[in-house]
Amino acid sequence: MGKEMIAMLLAGGQGSRLYALTEKLAKPAVPFGGKYRIIDFPLSNCVNSDIDTVGILTQYQPLVLNEYIGNGQPWDLDRVYGGVHVLPPYQKAKGSDWYKGTANAIYQNISFIDRYDPKYVIILSGDQICKQDYSEFLAFHKAKNAEFSVSVMEVPWEDASRFGLMVADENDRITEFQEKPKNPKSNLASMGIYIFNWDILRKYLIDDENNPESSNDFGNDIIPSLLRDNRRMYAYHFSGYWKDVGTIPSLWEANMEVLHPEESGINLFDTNWKIFSRNSGYTGHTVAAGAVLDHTLITDGCRIAGKIKHSVLFAGVTVEAGAEIEDAVIMGGSVIKAGAKVKHCIVAENVTVGENAVVGAMPTETEKGVATIGNGVVIGAGAIVGPNAMVRDDVKEGETV
Amino acid sequence: MISSKEKVLGILFPNSYDKVVPELTNLRSMASIPFASRYRIVDFVLSAMSHAGIDDIFILPNKNYNSLTDHLGSGREWDLVRKQGGLHIFPPYSTNASGFYNSRVEALAGIIDFLRRQKEEYILMADTNIACNYDFTDMIETHKASGADITIAYTTEEFPDCITRSETNDRGFYYCFEMDGSRITNILINLHNKGEHNFSHNVYILKRELLIDLINTGFLRGANSFERDILIPRLNELKVCGYEVKQYCARISDIKSYFDENMKLLDPKNLDALFAGASVYTKIRDDNPTSYHSCCKVSNIMAADGCSIRGEVENSILFRGVHVLEGAVVKNCILMQDTVVGQNAKLEYVITDKNVTISEGKELKGDADYPVYIDKRRTV
Repeated sequence: MGKEMIAMLLAGGQGSRLYALTEKLAKPAVPFGGKYRIIDFPLSNCVNSDIDTVGILTQYQPLVLNEYIGNGQPWDLDRVYGGVHVLPPYQKAKGSDWYKGTANAIYQNISFIDRYDPKYVIILSGDQICKQDYSEFLAFHKAKNAEFSVSVMEVPWEDASRFGLMVADENDRITEFQEKPKNPKSNLASMGIYIFNWDILRKYLIDDENNPESSNDFGNDIIPSLLRDNRRMYAYHFSGYWKDVGTIPSLWEANMEVLHPEESGINLFDTNWKIFSRNSGYTGHTVAAGAVLDHTLITDGCRIAGKIKHSVLFAGVTVEAGAEIEDAVIMGGSVIKAGAKVKHCIVAENVTVGENAVVGAMPTETEKGVATIGNGVVIGAGAIVGPNAMVRDDVKEGETV
Repeated sequence: MISSKEKVLGILFPNSYDKVVPELTNLRSMASIPFASRYRIVDFVLSAMSHAGIDDIFILPNKNYNSLTDHLGSGREWDLVRKQGGLHIFPPYSTNASGFYNSRVEALAGIIDFLRRQKEEYILMADTNIACNYDFTDMIETHKASGADITIAYTTEEFPDCITRSETNDRGFYYCFEMDGSRITNILINLHNKGEHNFSHNVYILKRELLIDLINTGFLRGANSFERDILIPRLNELKVCGYEVKQYCARISDIKSYFDENMKLLDPKNLDALFAGASVYTKIRDDNPTSYHSCCKVSNIMAADGCSIRGEVENSILFRGVHVLEGAVVKNCILMQDTVVGQNAKLEYVITDKNVTISEGKELKGDADYPVYIDKRRTV
């Protein structure tokens, strides 16, 4: 029996603008929100929307991601028929190719999709933080009798030229597509989430692959072709929380927004739309006498004795007495030693910040930045890491970066 | 890890000490008592078995096992979903002739056909009233090297107050060993003398064939207690040895010791000792991280995920999903899963079971010697 809709999740992005965080792992595997990774959001959305078959297209540094996904059990995606499948590029009789573009990645997996004989395919992106009910999106697609639908967000007009924009008529039918235009005709930004009728998508992927001029990309090639052929294309308005966390400031900001669920709209505390993740296996966390916690998220395995304000701590973080943390994102397994000051920054996994070291600073009028410390870095005692620094190598005792 | 040629079958008795904590076992078995903010007490022995490569485990409950089966599920979290072996729960089984079982001997007699069919050379059987990160690989190696027929785990410890405190014998049996070297020469039941004793953990290793033989003959002669009716009369004939457990142990012997053993984990030394080595597995609930709001004040606590803290919490253990609202003060308490402490409520020396709600402004105070216990799903 065919599936109604399966999901294809594009997770091959390098995330080069996250620098130190993505040296050894793909962007979708970047930790987020205390106990999650970015990819937990689209995967959890899938199961919460009754999609039980997901293909994950990986290419860049897939090791961490592969291990994290495993058999998909944490997301209830270990299924007899369907479930989660990691799809790296592979060798074929006629040779092998890396994924040349987003459309080519799906093209190379046409036979995977055919096995499930779906009516619809939803294309998802692995680098966004968003809680979305895809079943509502599908209901819209069906109600419009569409061949292609795209999820869009209204963005402020002044920002519109940074996005791919959909121009739609009063029935939401798309009449024009503008990729990062100088003079936007619309403020409906594409979220990069598409529903296609599989027969239509299949045909366009094959035509696109046969076109030597094409860059094999959904935005640049497939959507313009559909428009040229006057296909039934609709824009689905989404109004919830949506954030592309492709840069250090946006990743930091999204983590801070988790602390303000009511204002920001990103609510991780909603038991009806849980975000699932692979469990860390740590014990409960402890807060020692003398510790001060103010507006902070703490999770399993943390040992807190210092002073923490407005921050997000991941599993297994140790904060010694006398350390001060503010507006910071501290990822799993990191140790902040006594007297260290860690502010307005992202500290990646398994970092050690030495005694009395200073990482980042609260923004001032002249200097404002999110300091970033890469995975496994050791910051020596008394070292100073400035507010705009991006540290990938160990910093010696007393050194200033 | 144990070599696959001489595999070990695990057997757990989840109800054997239910009577010592009637409060907590009213609606559950000893095995599924919540412990250490995100675990059930059975998680410790089960994880230790799993880490030792014991991947075929029989669980023999005799009552109140809904919460246990819910917790264990298919055994996936303990890596016990196996094509060969895995986790097997044997609900109480009765023929018209036998009736439900009440003792270890009867429980084993009830599954004797299954035991015969197993292929493992050894059996490791244990109760579930102790949280300990056992090294079963070492215990099994020691057993083999000693040439003993039966090896029993014990710790040499000051007799816990709760045992000497209890005036009756009806809350379960405790066993102490008199030993000559590692050999057990006598087993004493429900000793009331203060001082250091070799206190049994009721963790046994023996050959499967020997257990079947002991149970068969014992059952025919009307044996009831494995220790009293089978072991003690044979201490001369069988070589029964003790294996000293060096790891940190938390033994639950009454509600007060339950309270104390939880509280002891607030000392990082004890917490690290209990969780030293391999991790302890438990059922996953996918809660969000715990949120400490601006108005909160916390000191010396252990908490699981999914909590939301707006009030003041001191010297306490919080399980998953506990909410402490504005102005509430919680001191020296154990708050189990999804407890809600209303605004300005005050709790001191209180144990709340799962899903308890303390209404706004209520005040409850127990004592270090006698913590107040509030039943599952009650609203105060």
